[in-house]
Amino acid sequence: MSNVPTRASAIVALDELLRGKLTSAAQVRSGTTPVRIFGPWALALGAIHGSFIAWYAIANNSPGAWRHLFYLMIKLPALFLLTLFVTFPSLYVFNALMGCGLRFRATLRLLIATIVVNLALAASLGPILAFFTVSTTSYTFIVLLNVAILGLAGIVSIAFLLRTLMNLQQDSPSDSTPVSTESPARNAVGGMFFIWILTYALVGSQMGWLLRPFIGYPGQELTFLRPRSGSFVESVWNITAGQANASSNPRR
Amino acid sequence: MKSIQTLVLPAGDVLRQGIEGLRDPRQVPSLRWSLACIAIVSPIYGFAMGSFNLDLSRTLYPLFSACKLPIMIFATSLLCLPGYFALSTVLGLRNDLHAALRAIVSSQAAFTLTLASLATFTLFLYANGITHRAAILVNGFMFLVATAVAQAILRKHYAPLLARSRKHAFMLCYWLVAYVFVGVQMGWMLRPFIGTPGIPPTFFRAEPFSNAYIVVLRLIFPGS
Repeated sequence: MSNVPTRASAIVALDELLRGKLTSAAQVRSGTTPVRIFGPWALALGAIHGSFIAWYAIANNSPGAWRHLFYLMIKLPALFLLTLFVTFPSLYVFNALMGCGLRFRATLRLLIATIVVNLALAASLGPILAFFTVSTTSYTFIVLLNVAILGLAGIVSIAFLLRTLMNLQQDSPSDSTPVSTESPARNAVGGMFFIWILTYALVGSQMGWLLRPFIGYPGQELTFLRPRSGSFVESVWNITAGQANASSNPRR
Repeated sequence: MKSIQTLVLPAGDVLRQGIEGLRDPRQVPSLRWSLACIAIVSPIYGFAMGSFNLDLSRTLYPLFSACKLPIMIFATSLLCLPGYFALSTVLGLRNDLHAALRAIVSSQAAFTLTLASLATFTLFLYANGITHRAAILVNGFMFLVATAVAQAILRKHYAPLLARSRKHAFMLCYWLVAYVFVGVQMGWMLRPFIGTPGIPPTFFRAEPFSNAYIVVLRLIFPGS
């Protein structure tokens, strides 16, 4: 008898993950949170949200828009999973150094579960993005709407991760006393959470820069990847410095 | 006769609960009743709204608007629901989802009931020969009144949920922001509702779809 998950059991597993039923301290530690189901879910939900982002190029009749839809269905899940691939070793080491006690596989399970929650939320907000895409030609508006949707999904999934980490710490086998708001264990979880988010965000923003274009500026060629040039931080710096120069020399 | 009574009698309850306060959460009308109410009652105001400057050449306007008002309400809800469902689930509020949806849909039923009750005012003002611009303002005012009533009822129906968990405040806020954000654009895309005099009736405007927010922004900042 094979252990290949059926479609129904995969949907039930996703539902239970979103409801927080698969991320209790015991389940994350013991390994009952099924990565072999959530890996494919991360790919599928990323592909769904990627397809919603691609509607802008399709609605604007950009050349190669349908090809871009296919590219985005690969690139959006790749953005999240490649970022995890790059950051995971350091995230695991930080967790061990700060005494949070999560094992290698448990850390991986928890982070993949968080990515699935993030992508599920983003995909659920996709219909709103698609609706506005059909009626909007403004590139700036669509960029802002994408940022708002991914921002909201990101904030809620970060809250999900923090809640799970707190549950893990409260249920820690090495810590029999209840965790107070000022306890060192709680501070360790808070510190690790901060380092995790900072590391993931920094690498994620550069990964996004590397994998662009996502929305596709009207009139610009829609390629799978743009030629490698600079970095996300460098680009933000140049834009900020350019704005500062423009405001100090208004005649230029 | 009995089926008409089962539809009409709770209508009074929906509005009264907003005024007297909800003593028992079970008094919130059922989801099925609220949906039927929106589908049946909302075309009444749509019909009245499209009856501006009515003559033989404009007979299709009331029919188009009667179709478009329920489409606007249902399509906006459908677009906002997946996000509401997913966020409720992640925040651990899935057990309250049915109660929350009942509260939301009953407030929309109250919105349509209030609009329908104001239809006679709108028709009366149209009969007085008001201008197209005044007709837009009158309808805007009627929607404002109906929205205020719906808000009051939504807050009453949501009160037991808010008492149970503060997370419901976030979900209520999400629903209101998303519904208004999408609803404004949906209304813009489905126009004309009233119909400019001299322009033959069409279901959608002949021009391509545009973004309501960008149009407003360009009105405020002409150079942008």
